[in-house]
Amino acid sequence: MATTSTDTKRRPGSGEGAPGRPRKKEMSETTLGKVFVAPAILLMALVALFPVVYAFVISLQAYTGRQREGFAGIDNYVEALTDERFWTSLEFTLIFTVTSVAAEFLIGLGFALLMNQAFRGRGVTRASILVPWVIPTVIAAQMWFFMFNVTPGFINNVFGLGDFSWLGQSGWASFAIIFADVWKTAPFVALLLLAGLQTIPEDVYEGARVDGAKMFQRFWYITLPLLKPAILVALLFRTVEALRVYDLPQVMTGGAFGTESLSILVQQYVVRTPDPGLGSALSTITFVIILGVGLIFVNFLGKELVIGGEGENR
Amino acid sequence: MIRPRNRSRWAAAGVLSLVAVAACTPGGDEGGGEGELVWALGGSEAKPGGVHQQVAQLWSEQNPDTPIRIEVLPDEADQQREQQALELQAEGSNFDVLGVDVIWTGEYSTNGWLESLEDVRGEIEEASIPGAFESSTWGGELWAAPYNSNAGFLYYRTDLVDEPPTTWDELCEMAIEIGEQENIGGFIGQGSRYEGFVVNWLEYYWSDGGELFNEDQSEVLFDVDTATAATEWLAEAKESGCLAPGFNTAAEEEARNEFQSGNVVFMRNWPYAYGLIQEDQQSPVRENFDIAPLPTFTGEGTISALGGFNNAVSAFSDNKEAAKDFVVWAATNEEVQSMLAEDAVPPTMQAVYDQFADDPVMSLLGEVLAEAKPRPPSPQWNAISVEMQREFFPAYNGEGDPAEASQAVQEFLQSTVE
Repeated sequence: MATTSTDTKRRPGSGEGAPGRPRKKEMSETTLGKVFVAPAILLMALVALFPVVYAFVISLQAYTGRQREGFAGIDNYVEALTDERFWTSLEFTLIFTVTSVAAEFLIGLGFALLMNQAFRGRGVTRASILVPWVIPTVIAAQMWFFMFNVTPGFINNVFGLGDFSWLGQSGWASFAIIFADVWKTAPFVALLLLAGLQTIPEDVYEGARVDGAKMFQRFWYITLPLLKPAILVALLFRTVEALRVYDLPQVMTGGAFGTESLSILVQQYVVRTPDPGLGSALSTITFVIILGVGLIFVNFLGKELVIGGEGENR
Repeated sequence: MIRPRNRSRWAAAGVLSLVAVAACTPGGDEGGGEGELVWALGGSEAKPGGVHQQVAQLWSEQNPDTPIRIEVLPDEADQQREQQALELQAEGSNFDVLGVDVIWTGEYSTNGWLESLEDVRGEIEEASIPGAFESSTWGGELWAAPYNSNAGFLYYRTDLVDEPPTTWDELCEMAIEIGEQENIGGFIGQGSRYEGFVVNWLEYYWSDGGELFNEDQSEVLFDVDTATAATEWLAEAKESGCLAPGFNTAAEEEARNEFQSGNVVFMRNWPYAYGLIQEDQQSPVRENFDIAPLPTFTGEGTISALGGFNNAVSAFSDNKEAAKDFVVWAATNEEVQSMLAEDAVPPTMQAVYDQFADDPVMSLLGEVLAEAKPRPPSPQWNAISVEMQREFFPAYNGEGDPAEASQAVQEFLQSTVE
């Protein structure tokens, strides 16, 4: 028995059976793993890391228009952080993120619970709930612009609101953008949560029912805790995406009435009124904010996954 | 089963193929067929069926070796410029001929994106109207060939208005009175926060005697009091219901839709709308509207911001000679320029205006263009425009103080000449 167990540990085909060939030192499992992962890491670094580092390098340069003038140190960061515009757009971005992600989570959870039930027409319901998510954001934004705008004023017509200017005043302009975002991405949250719901085994519920747990108790003590990893993943994805929102406010209001997001500001300094140094500084700041929020989530998520993993082994 | 020895080989092959894929990734340079030119421009007339497409077709028929194809850019000027800037900043050769808005000449030439047209200056200058020619030059050098000029008109409803107003105050009085009677909106223009709003605002400001810079743009002539008055007038117009409800979210097309569906009394728009409204069989106003020069604050004369675009040759084109032939042809060929005029797209050739003196749009244009003012085609124009949008847009929407906004713009303009 002992020999077989060592045999199985040794991987098949390890040089011993081939005396004719020069013996090479075997790679360990982890080294081999690293070799396999290397191309993916390299590709990720090329695609994801390079632009970030490059933006940081540019953010330390001084520019006039598109012409480089020399090294600027942290001047661009000082300029960005002392500009009132940065803080107003940060404020809008944060308000947008918190409200839209919260609403998307609640609605998405509702959808997911609904889609997880067995009832007639479930397939059709699932498909139709996902429709908004399939529509490209820019097109959805343009569509909601037409819906909310005074002309042609579809929403005003339907609700008999006359000439209420949703997009032409502060507050309501932000509301319209958040509404469009919730409409667009609640299905995405629902999809992620549905996947989570389906991993919860039915017998856990049966056990709870036998113990006399009410529906709300089953939801609170079984569904929610077991769904936590899926919830965290959904919130992470949505928060990170919401923090870099660009298309919805750009198309619907052009950033008017306090709906200028950080990304719109970045885009302005990179493309519209070019100052690549300042633009890159702003995009680096945006990156740091998003990275920070992402890390907090991953920190929670990591713990959750570890605990969840141990639970399964027991 | 792959044996371990082979595993590392597979890994190596994987890395290699990855490198190969990266190396083979095309630089986005397809360029179409051999010798095909690409003309990058936007707007409704650039779309299939539009007059620019017909011009492109005419050239392609006459020059089968170097046919031209339109790359249709977005409707809004800001977005057209972004598309072009993205390509040109990367020194891409995908665009050979660029439809360059009159305000971009300075920036594009300073960036080294345009091929100089000095060697064909003579024939272009001779054929073109002075305002359009001026907008093609920067720093005393010719960078583009005039093609399409533009100026603002006042569109009004002949069934509701007997005589078009000559002052802005009169316009508002009529807009409020008739709007209430008919239960429709009053005046619509380009009031959304974008370049078009700056154009509209400048027309109010200029028509009260305001100026931005002196001739060679070395000195700021911006008058804070005039700017405050113009902005206050607009804020009051919004407050009093003179402006139609959708004014502050409207660009050209939103405004046209409103007027075309009979929802407003007055509209400030470019001449392109004239033909489109007339052709629309569904429109309740197609036989009940006319055009007039824009009002002023004093009641004398008219003033309009000069718009339109000129054709330039990209410095990164692979086919500069053919591209140059095309832009000169489009600027100086009477057939081409007449095609524009027939479609109510204002041409830049003087001879065509004389020829179309009987056409209502062209004759009014001839009158208005003589008084039209170009926005300064400074390399910093976009920054100036963004600043004006940021200050004057909230100010007229009751979210800022007109006087403070004017002061801030004055300081910003000052900072661009220092």
